[in-house]
Amino acid sequence: MKSLSKLFSLLSIAVMLLAACAPSTTQAPPATQPPATEMPATEAPATETTATEAPATEAPTTGAAAGSCPLKVEEGASIVFSGWGDETEQKIYRDSIERFKTVCPGVTVDYQPIPDKFQDKLKAQMAGGTAPDVFYVDDQLMNAFAPSGQLLALDDAMSQAGVSRDDFIPALLTIFTKDGKTYGLPKDWGTLGLVYLPEAFKDAGIDEPTEDWTWDDLRTAAKAIADKGTYGGFCMGADWARFAPFVFSNGGSFASEDFTTATLDTPEVKDVGTLVSDMYKEKSLVAPADVGAGWCGEAIGKKLVGLTTEGGWMVNFMKQNYPDVEWKAIEIPQGPKNRADIIFTNAIGVNAATKYPNAAAAFAIYLTGKDNQGEIVKTGFAYSTHPDQADLVVDPNDKAIASGGLLPDTRVAFWGPNTGKVNDAVSQALSRIFLGDQTVDEAFAQAQEEAQAALSGQ
Amino acid sequence: MTTYETSSTQSNRNLAAILTFLVIVIVLMVIALLNAPTMGGPKVMASASTYLQEVRRTALPFLGAVAVLAIALGMSAARMVYREWPYPKRRLNLIMGYAFLAPYLLITLTFTVGVVLFAFYISFNNYDIFTPPQWAGLSNYAKAFQGKDFLQSLYNVLWYTLIVVPTQTTIAILLAVLLNSSINFKQFFRTIFYAPSVTSSVVITLIFIWFYLKTGYINFFLAKFFGVFGLHWQNINWLGDPRGLIQLIVQAFGGDIPSKQWYFRGPSIAWMSIMFQNIFTTAPTFMIMFLAALQDINPTLYEAASIDGANGWQQFRNITLPLLRPIILLVVVLGTIGTLQVFDQVYLATSGGPLGTSLTPVFIVFREALGSQGPIRMGYASGLAFILAVLIFFFTFLQRRFISNETQLY
Repeated sequence: MKSLSKLFSLLSIAVMLLAACAPSTTQAPPATQPPATEMPATEAPATETTATEAPATEAPTTGAAAGSCPLKVEEGASIVFSGWGDETEQKIYRDSIERFKTVCPGVTVDYQPIPDKFQDKLKAQMAGGTAPDVFYVDDQLMNAFAPSGQLLALDDAMSQAGVSRDDFIPALLTIFTKDGKTYGLPKDWGTLGLVYLPEAFKDAGIDEPTEDWTWDDLRTAAKAIADKGTYGGFCMGADWARFAPFVFSNGGSFASEDFTTATLDTPEVKDVGTLVSDMYKEKSLVAPADVGAGWCGEAIGKKLVGLTTEGGWMVNFMKQNYPDVEWKAIEIPQGPKNRADIIFTNAIGVNAATKYPNAAAAFAIYLTGKDNQGEIVKTGFAYSTHPDQADLVVDPNDKAIASGGLLPDTRVAFWGPNTGKVNDAVSQALSRIFLGDQTVDEAFAQAQEEAQAALSGQ
Repeated sequence: MTTYETSSTQSNRNLAAILTFLVIVIVLMVIALLNAPTMGGPKVMASASTYLQEVRRTALPFLGAVAVLAIALGMSAARMVYREWPYPKRRLNLIMGYAFLAPYLLITLTFTVGVVLFAFYISFNNYDIFTPPQWAGLSNYAKAFQGKDFLQSLYNVLWYTLIVVPTQTTIAILLAVLLNSSINFKQFFRTIFYAPSVTSSVVITLIFIWFYLKTGYINFFLAKFFGVFGLHWQNINWLGDPRGLIQLIVQAFGGDIPSKQWYFRGPSIAWMSIMFQNIFTTAPTFMIMFLAALQDINPTLYEAASIDGANGWQQFRNITLPLLRPIILLVVVLGTIGTLQVFDQVYLATSGGPLGTSLTPVFIVFREALGSQGPIRMGYASGLAFILAVLIFFFTFLQRRFISNETQLY
């Protein structure tokens, strides 16, 4: 009797453990975390094999301009490199390191990926003096490290290596520039495009989106699809990143250029806020939670909505999780003032305390250089940070999404050291609007107050 | 005993007092020194001189503050030694006692007290963990009460404590009484009831996130349940709904509480969902305590009561509950401390949202200390942590008084 109940107990614990493991594996990426490169992209494209083979043929020709080390490196240099990322991303960077070894044979690179809580760990490592020599830098790390001189300014190394800031897409460098110095080289970027299900448009009997679409066209179509009822309309969470293209395309911004004044109660912001609010009220706009999805990409995959704005990560996400769903993407719609998109980007930075600054800088320059970026683009993993490599993107949907990033008015949502708080104020305002808690005016008046407090350093 | 006192013991006595003073000051200063520099790593740790250089650069005021403390502590300890020294037995006790305590004391001083002292010092500074701390006076403490976030987090945890502690204590007592009775498969029930408490709270939270989805199980069952009566259940996004309890009641009567008056809204649906989960996880932990206490109750009391004609409820009210009182109060204190420090469920499930209705002080401390939304503000985070510590101390103090008064009755 006693042993029987013990067995029961063991069994019930085993069942619980199993139940505990199941959901976490299928958890969707949170929709509020837009950076493109953090999204899972586990599909290993066929082109990758050619990428890994390339170094073998290049090896003997180290004297050639394309294949030479960007900088004169220290004798016997050995550097540690860390970044986040899943298996796919790690493989891409392992391959990059192999390529780097052929151009700078004297440098040993120890790759130590940190897949989770990267920023927290890096800050702790940096405070403890054990941070890697070369690592990913995002806006959060840039704000934590650059003002106190933890990052190496790369400008000297860049000029020695013949790399110019002009080689990069201009919007990308804004985050990583402080007092005119470059503290990180953009390694890749993402942006948003209009992603839709053609069948939803057919179902509602309307034409598919075209390149000259405006936000009003989007609203009309979303209304038609939502009224038909088979699919939800336009999917958008209460998320600053999804709202930013609306604002930017209306000539607005979250903060002034010098990051001192919040500009959330301006008509540019409130007009599009009203548009979004009206769409939500007439049910042509739905939040992912309303339709039972974790984020809008998943809502497309599950065929719950007709259209949304998502980024290049959709390509691999759909391939991997919903291979049978036919979807399309097109450039972000035109706003009242212009056409403008939002860019997410991350960079490679160098630890100012590194023992081998030349080798570390050479590695950062190589990783973000045209040779290596060209190889990475071919894998479909990320876009090149060099404007002339934009057409290397393979997938047509991916290409359509990427084109938004190259528009002249496209920008990053970066507002100085308190970027996180300003952006959060926008998300909060949107969720108050969606919940019917406040009017558009009230919500953005409060957001303005909060953002202003954050920008003033309170 | 004073007959033993000669000039030599007198000088020994002085020597012992001076030695005590020196040992305490030196040990405390060494511990402060170990906690002092604001940056570590191979460069700083390369040699004693680089280490001291870093200390000099960043932590002289801290060392000064600790030195004052150490001297005060050393003097009072020296006085005690001076007083005890002439009596051989008490002297031996003193030396032995502290000798046995020393290993633990040294470790605690280095790794806990030293760190707490440093955090306390840091709470009066602006400190980004990379550059030397900048003196800021009380501004970090003042800042806490200027913005809405920290006030809202205090408001949230007060509701949390108010609802979770009584509920989980009640449930724990009922479960314990149930399991103490003579039912079949007692061991089995004990194990499954206790399972939520031994499972990692991270795992439980992940499971509950799925339960709470708008298309999750809880909505599904509620819809089915209400469907039986022909009613329609409007699915709720449990972890994303900021409507407050009081607000819902007001809304039922056709009114509303505007966003600006968030402090009248009561705990939000999201917050109450987390409360429910926490009760589910913690109640069994306390159940075990009650179970242990129940087994200590003399069964002859129940026998006597039943001979006197008391029924089950009367026995429970008049024997079980009064005898459990000390343990009930212990559980309430532990529960209060635990609920005021709630963090992991919030971190995993809601990140403080929706509309800040699940913000907690510890979550804000974590956010500010790691700078996940802005610059790293270790000083501000430390200040918040100390405000919270004072609050917890205050509540515990109240309850401890309550406990000692009550337990004296039994």
